[in-house]
Amino acid sequence: MYGFHGRLLRIDLTTQSYTWQDIESSRLTAVLGGVGLGASLLYDHAPPGAEPFSADNPLIFTSAPLVGTGLTTTAKYAVVTKSPLTGFIADSLSSSFFALELKRVGVDALVITGAAGQPTYLLITDDGVEFRTAAHLTGLSAQETEERIRHAERTEKGAEARVAAIGRAGENLVRFATLSNEGRHAGRGGVGAVFGAKKLKAVALRGHCRVAVADTGAVERIAATLRERSVGPQTAKYREIGTVANLAVFDRLGSLPTYNFQNTPFVQAEALSGESFVTNGFSQTHGCAACTIRCERLFRSLSGEAQRLEYETLFAFGPLCGIEEPDAVLRAARLCDRYGLDTISTGGTIAWAAECADKGLWPELRETGLSFGNAEAILALIPDIAHRRGVGAALAEGSRLAATRIGAEAESFAMHVKGMELPGYEPRSLKTMALGLAVSPRGACHNRSGAYEADFSGQVDRLQADAGRGALVAASEDFSAVLDSLIVCKFLRKCFDDFYSDTAHLMSAVTGWDYTAAGLKQVGERINTLKKLFNMREGWQPEDDWLPPRLLTEPLPSGVAQGVGLTPDELRLMIQSYYAARGWNEQGLITEEKKREFGL
Amino acid sequence: MDTQASTRSPALSAVILSGGKSSRMGRPKALLPFDGKPLIAHLVQRLSQRFSDIVVVAAPDQTLPSLPVTLVHDTVAYQGPVGGLCYGLQATRGTAAFVTSCDVPFLQLPFIDYLVSQLDHHGRDYDVVVPVWQDRLQPLHAVYRRSVVPHLQEQLAAQRLRPVYLYDTVPTRKVSPAEIKRFDPEGLSFLNMNTQADYQAALAQWRTLSVPISCTVELFGVARLTARTSRVALTLSAEATLGDALTVLGVECPALLGSVLSADEAGHASLQSGYTCNINGQDFVRDAHTRLRAGDSLLILSSDAGG
Ligand code: SF4
Repeated sequence: MYGFHGRLLRIDLTTQSYTWQDIESSRLTAVLGGVGLGASLLYDHAPPGAEPFSADNPLIFTSAPLVGTGLTTTAKYAVVTKSPLTGFIADSLSSSFFALELKRVGVDALVITGAAGQPTYLLITDDGVEFRTAAHLTGLSAQETEERIRHAERTEKGAEARVAAIGRAGENLVRFATLSNEGRHAGRGGVGAVFGAKKLKAVALRGHCRVAVADTGAVERIAATLRERSVGPQTAKYREIGTVANLAVFDRLGSLPTYNFQNTPFVQAEALSGESFVTNGFSQTHGCAACTIRCERLFRSLSGEAQRLEYETLFAFGPLCGIEEPDAVLRAARLCDRYGLDTISTGGTIAWAAECADKGLWPELRETGLSFGNAEAILALIPDIAHRRGVGAALAEGSRLAATRIGAEAESFAMHVKGMELPGYEPRSLKTMALGLAVSPRGACHNRSGAYEADFSGQVDRLQADAGRGALVAASEDFSAVLDSLIVCKFLRKCFDDFYSDTAHLMSAVTGWDYTAAGLKQVGERINTLKKLFNMREGWQPEDDWLPPRLLTEPLPSGVAQGVGLTPDELRLMIQSYYAARGWNEQGLITEEKKREFGL
Repeated sequence: MDTQASTRSPALSAVILSGGKSSRMGRPKALLPFDGKPLIAHLVQRLSQRFSDIVVVAAPDQTLPSLPVTLVHDTVAYQGPVGGLCYGLQATRGTAAFVTSCDVPFLQLPFIDYLVSQLDHHGRDYDVVVPVWQDRLQPLHAVYRRSVVPHLQEQLAAQRLRPVYLYDTVPTRKVSPAEIKRFDPEGLSFLNMNTQADYQAALAQWRTLSVPISCTVELFGVARLTARTSRVALTLSAEATLGDALTVLGVECPALLGSVLSADEAGHASLQSGYTCNINGQDFVRDAHTRLRAGDSLLILSSDAGG
């Protein structure tokens, strides 16, 4: 077999046992690797209705056919489970050397079930699995854990293990805890908390296996073209500034949510802009393994530490929480990394709490001094969330669950979809994105579709809703599903001539199987159908595809999109158009016919 | 078809109908002076930047100044626009023609280019491209294929003198106000004159248009880092387009040339792939012919917004 190993490793933490199993090639052709393979395995390996924190909920790591081919931006893996934040599918991506090592241990997937009795980490090699105590690692950050395990597991010949680990937040089952490796995070959906529930601190990998590709020459030719394009004008933004470049643009376009989505634009947008970060301070460029774009930016805080910063983190603590000082945002990012917290959900939940404090809805908050823009109070809450201390215990549940404890008014401005906090895209001024966020299987997500691209390109009138958006969102989700299953970084997406034809050609060269553009498109649709099927099985209801009440009742009060709102009827129209584009019924349920079409 | 084409196409002609009645004006509209020159001379001069073949249809006894055009006279005294259209198209050498009346001082060439480009729209061929402005079709600011002549002759024979009958007969592309506004935000193209008061107002407008406008370019991302500034103020001619603004920007900020802007041999600048432009935080535009208005802000940003 080329491109894949054709097998997975099942690990049971309860019994400390493991076994290898073949993966049918029909499954690999149908869903590729990454997110697609993860969704497919989750459907089969998770008992219906399994609680996210139960031993039954599988934690699935998947590799992908392009990993290890030398193709730029492909050192990635997916980790898939049932999310403790949403109760639906969590499919997160992360990257770098851990991803390369996953492929080297000779499997396409790890399926980890059960729960350990004591803190544990796994050392996985080509030969099998060792279950190690992690008692001495409890309370350490992911980075410290990674360093300790790498040191401990280095072989006499100096072979290194690659490690993905959780921090304190994961151990304490914070519902939006991350899994981290080499400073990268599988961020959204609370994968880290599922680790914590299993008393699993880390997974270490050390392998030697290689996967051959069917047509080396062809793969190298395509790789060379993409490498060249990856350093051209299409990616200049990522190379020169990184994703933080979004802030100033979004602000100017009335698409930067501020103060818990109460407003836009942000007074300090200039000071917090990516351009200012790059111009005013020391910054360093980094990249994932095997990447020529290298979009990561590290900025030095006043205390002298270099800190990675992405747009979503900058948004979540800057405009969303009202923090105006760049250094405070860097410190917030650092704390989230240290404890292993998803920055979007952390910022989103704190912003929600700040509004509760503003409105006097939650008396206990008074002691914290929390208010929008009060950087010290906001920063102090981050460790409290990770330790589940004081009000942090409620915030650790995420804004949806925390709001149910406070009351209906607080629920009306809890800015989440399916329990996942919204990313930094203002849905009222980005109507295609509004639909994308409402229907996304993993909750309010800006990664599993690029619905905002239609809004930001002038392809549609971004301030108006219409029935054409369903098809755009479905197509964008399918595109992302293929991208996330090959896996190729989304920042390479503009470097293809014709994405489906180019990647079909590439996949044929890697696997030796026949792929066509139309076939790959269908793979994208199949993967999204699978995710939805999983969610339906886990209790999805039509009202789960919806947006927070604030977005549907309050027009934007200022900025270039002043007065623009989104009515429930407009959202309903777009959602119906999405179901129609997908061939689902009016309730958004997948028909038997559709299941048959995809052999599901 | 390339909407950016600014060269003169031999396949296309222009027709100016100058035979209409000028009863309310009290003198021939074609001869109303602007800057001391009859309006029709301005129109011919402007249209000749695009069309090498220009036909002027005059009334049977109308006299006009000497112009580099093919002059034809209505054989029958004024039969409404259909008559002039029919005679004019018959006299053209091209396969299609832009047709206008003679009393419109503010023709916008980029908009005319756009109309011509719409003869072939999304793979469909049209015989007529006609704008709709203020809820009215604008038959005397439209593009017609020469192949419609037999239909017009039939209409004339049947005394069906309204152009709209033609639109019901042949494939017709109606251009919406939203499309028009991209090139001509105020609809100046359709501003015609029937009375002395109209003429005076047009003269005032003519003078305004000779005053330059100010626009601001706001640079984001790599463009800002490259230019080392976030804003550039530009002074542009009153009828400046996006292409004109980018050209001036290239002169003001030469650092942008080669990375964000490219310039052709004639010095016209355009955005490189990877960059896009938004006007006033509202509309994303790439068409170099997009007209700018005084006070517009031009945002230059990565075409990969988001992520
Ligand atoms: S572009 Fe950025 S996120 Fe993507 S692979 Fe490269 S460094 Fe990693």
